[in-house]
Amino acid sequence: MMLGGPELGQRVLSAVSTCHPVRLTDIGQLLKVMGTFLGLSLFSVGGGNTLLTEYHHLSVDQFCWLTTNQFNDLYALAEAAPGPSSMLVGLLGMGAAWREGPLWAVLTGVMAEVAVLLPSTLLVVVVCLSWNRFRHSPWRLAFERAMGPITLGVLFAVGVKILLLSDTNPAGLVVSLLVCALVLRTRISPLWMMAVAGLLGGLGIIHR
Amino acid sequence: MTEPALAQAPTLRQLFTGLLQVALSSFGGGLSVWSQRIIVEQRRWMSNDAFLTGLTVARLLPGPNQINLAVYVGATFHGLRGALVALAGILFIPFSLLMGLGLVYFQLRGLPLVDRVLAGMVAVAAGLALSMGFKILPTYKADPVALLLAAAVFIAMQGFHVRLVPLLLVVSPLAMLWYWPRNVEETKP
Repeated sequence: MMLGGPELGQRVLSAVSTCHPVRLTDIGQLLKVMGTFLGLSLFSVGGGNTLLTEYHHLSVDQFCWLTTNQFNDLYALAEAAPGPSSMLVGLLGMGAAWREGPLWAVLTGVMAEVAVLLPSTLLVVVVCLSWNRFRHSPWRLAFERAMGPITLGVLFAVGVKILLLSDTNPAGLVVSLLVCALVLRTRISPLWMMAVAGLLGGLGIIHR
Repeated sequence: MTEPALAQAPTLRQLFTGLLQVALSSFGGGLSVWSQRIIVEQRRWMSNDAFLTGLTVARLLPGPNQINLAVYVGATFHGLRGALVALAGILFIPFSLLMGLGLVYFQLRGLPLVDRVLAGMVAVAAGLALSMGFKILPTYKADPVALLLAAAVFIAMQGFHVRLVPLLLVVSPLAMLWYWPRNVEETKP
């Protein structure tokens, strides 16, 4: 199942028909979901946004907590809100448990965020307390050099995937490409772009 | 330039309020600039060198860079307890806000106007996602092996839908082998 290729289309079709939302009041399932985020934590190389497409795969394809449109909405909210956009995981947890009521949804959101942050946090503590040993180790040098280019490839793949998931019409695509160019070439805050595009969306110029 | 003397090591409470201040100050963006300004210049907990070491570690290790940095600062002074307190400090307000925003979203997502406004914001978010790769591309322009490696990773994910975790488990050791420091000099300070 790891490699998609030709059978991908079939898989998507079967996913639509067989994917049943996971009931999160079942504590066993909640632990399973937390375990999934715990396991992803140490693979968030180069920041955290490298996990975006994994989050989509989990919350839309694997556990069917959300539709792709809802996932896109939550990612946009996480980008628009102050603070690191990796807090998206909290919103995904919230979406996963929304049908159980707001209180359970918030609890699940917090637990999901804790799960995704805990392993990487513990690793930082360990390295911080023994940095002098790591500092000049060949392992550290090789790891640092190797992860850079890998992160580059992952970020491009994530960017393209998110673009394909988000833009189903030409107007949206034009806006996305324009935003990408503006972010790279100017210092205009993305919040302004969010505001303008939100307005354009409200007027029906950008739609999905 | 001589650096001013360092202040006393922060208590757990000071650690929490300091990182709360970092989170609040950076609401318009520029989290890393604010961390440095508050931790090094205002509160004088760390020398600039120590802070930059923290930044190196934060970027090197998995996890969101700015959160890793907060954890590093906390761990420097109070080990694991300090790390958790710092984490709480930097996340408390933005995460509460985001949860609030999430509650509003899930209540109102059925409204046509909300959906239309979000459609516009989604297009912007997609543009931001696309820009991430371009942002770090200049670093690797002169390194053909790095570009080849990045291209292979891109094709595996985008063309063959290989999932990130198995991909990293296979590619990282190979890349580390390639980039292993070949002469002893490289590993010296």
